[in-house]
Amino acid sequence: MSMLLVNSLISGVLAGGLCGSIGVICNRLRLTTIAFSMAHAALAGSALALALNVDMISLAMGFAFLTATILGPLADHLRISLDLVSMILFSLYNALTFIFIIMAPGPTFMTESIGQLLWGSILAIRFSYIAYLTTAAVMCLAFIIIFWGRISSLLFDPRLAEAEGVNVKLYKYAILILAGAIITLALRITGGFLVFSLLYLPAAASLQLQSTMQKMIFSSWILGSASASMGLGISFLLDLPAGSCITIAAVILFISAIIYSKLKVFSLYRGGLHAR
Amino acid sequence: MTEYAVELHEVSTYYHGEKRPAITSVNLKIPIGSLALITGPNGAGKTTLLETILGLLRAREGWIKVLGYDIPGNLHKVRRLCSYLPQDFMKPPMEPFTAREIVAMGLASKNFMGRLSASDWKLVDQALDLFGMLEYADKPFGKLSGGQQQKVLFARALVREPKLLLLDEPFSAIDQESRAYIIGEIFPKLLEKRCTILLVSHHPEPSLLEPDLVIEMREGRVRRMVMQDVYAPR
Repeated sequence: MSMLLVNSLISGVLAGGLCGSIGVICNRLRLTTIAFSMAHAALAGSALALALNVDMISLAMGFAFLTATILGPLADHLRISLDLVSMILFSLYNALTFIFIIMAPGPTFMTESIGQLLWGSILAIRFSYIAYLTTAAVMCLAFIIIFWGRISSLLFDPRLAEAEGVNVKLYKYAILILAGAIITLALRITGGFLVFSLLYLPAAASLQLQSTMQKMIFSSWILGSASASMGLGISFLLDLPAGSCITIAAVILFISAIIYSKLKVFSLYRGGLHAR
Repeated sequence: MTEYAVELHEVSTYYHGEKRPAITSVNLKIPIGSLALITGPNGAGKTTLLETILGLLRAREGWIKVLGYDIPGNLHKVRRLCSYLPQDFMKPPMEPFTAREIVAMGLASKNFMGRLSASDWKLVDQALDLFGMLEYADKPFGKLSGGQQQKVLFARALVREPKLLLLDEPFSAIDQESRAYIIGEIFPKLLEKRCTILLVSHHPEPSLLEPDLVIEMREGRVRRMVMQDVYAPR
């Protein structure tokens, strides 16, 4: 088995798992649109890098991280929802992306780097990338395990958690920054347009399968890992865009989860009828 | 040491973007270890008053002291000494937390880094048992009836052993028998421990309740305050 495929599978397990677990938390906190602004922040960053002829990945990460950092305080300061702030930034980043691309010299739309950012590539997977992912996975798990008592309180009812002395803003900002870092890392393999699939499809599938929050986060990690690994494997074997393959794998797992959930309900219903 | 659990001086609170205050020039002194009933019609400002005391809504005018601490200066410290049972507590059937987990959250917000020890989990079960909810401990919160959900949140409020208990329409879903038990058995024990109870109800006098202080609100103002003839701190 080639080293590239092994690296792809390891990256898939880590990136998919991270996206899946943080996706459940973001979905619960109604932060589903943050992915849009983060992904497009990275796109705008890379387009600017192209125009300035500097390192594309660093600037993309810088933009996404900055967005993750300012989203929460901006929403609090303006007293509007995070979703709305996300969509405002999303529009701004789109506008900037096009301006920066036009400003860039040469046939920019055809460059491989832009291709990687738009629809992902297994060629972006290097040892340093796996090291980043491993660090993010350790930090994410440590954060969730150590502070689970307070995170769960926030996920159940932020207002009640605040009334009981939990620093809701601090935890929300920490989750946003963590999500920003994870999205930026996942962008390398899924691309800017398809990172949402890895964030929310495993989360949606785990909602079909589990009834408690801890189990949902765990199963979303597994489903995210499976989607990303399967997708990257298919991308490697068939030479197709990584982001598209991951999305299709995630959709297949989501549909399977729905069918499994319906069959389970049906068998319980039939069991109940037989018992009568 | 202060003799009042809650002190408000000329407090006015505004909702964001509103020109008229939701509560206006409120002056209150609630003694430690007393049961205060805050009553009045819908929109009188009862919930706003509770949320202002807890710092969930920021007072624009006047000053507030809770358990001797200035608000909002010592917000997180004060909130950890308080428990709150909100009015809108109902959750949908798909709520992914069990009754036991929800009571445990009450302790997690008080403890260092939110960690719970084995003895804390015993306290959680005792609190559930107090309200007859131990047998439902592992049931998803959303699958419980409205009254059962309210009892679980009561257990969450009590497991924190609060110095100040703020209850917003706490009997709205609870049956007569349980209400009598809470008022007759649980409240006296809390008051004995010098816990102060602020209870909001739109009913002028919920049956069986014998408050030390009745605060009547209307249109955002305290219209009448009646203290028992002879107030004896417990």
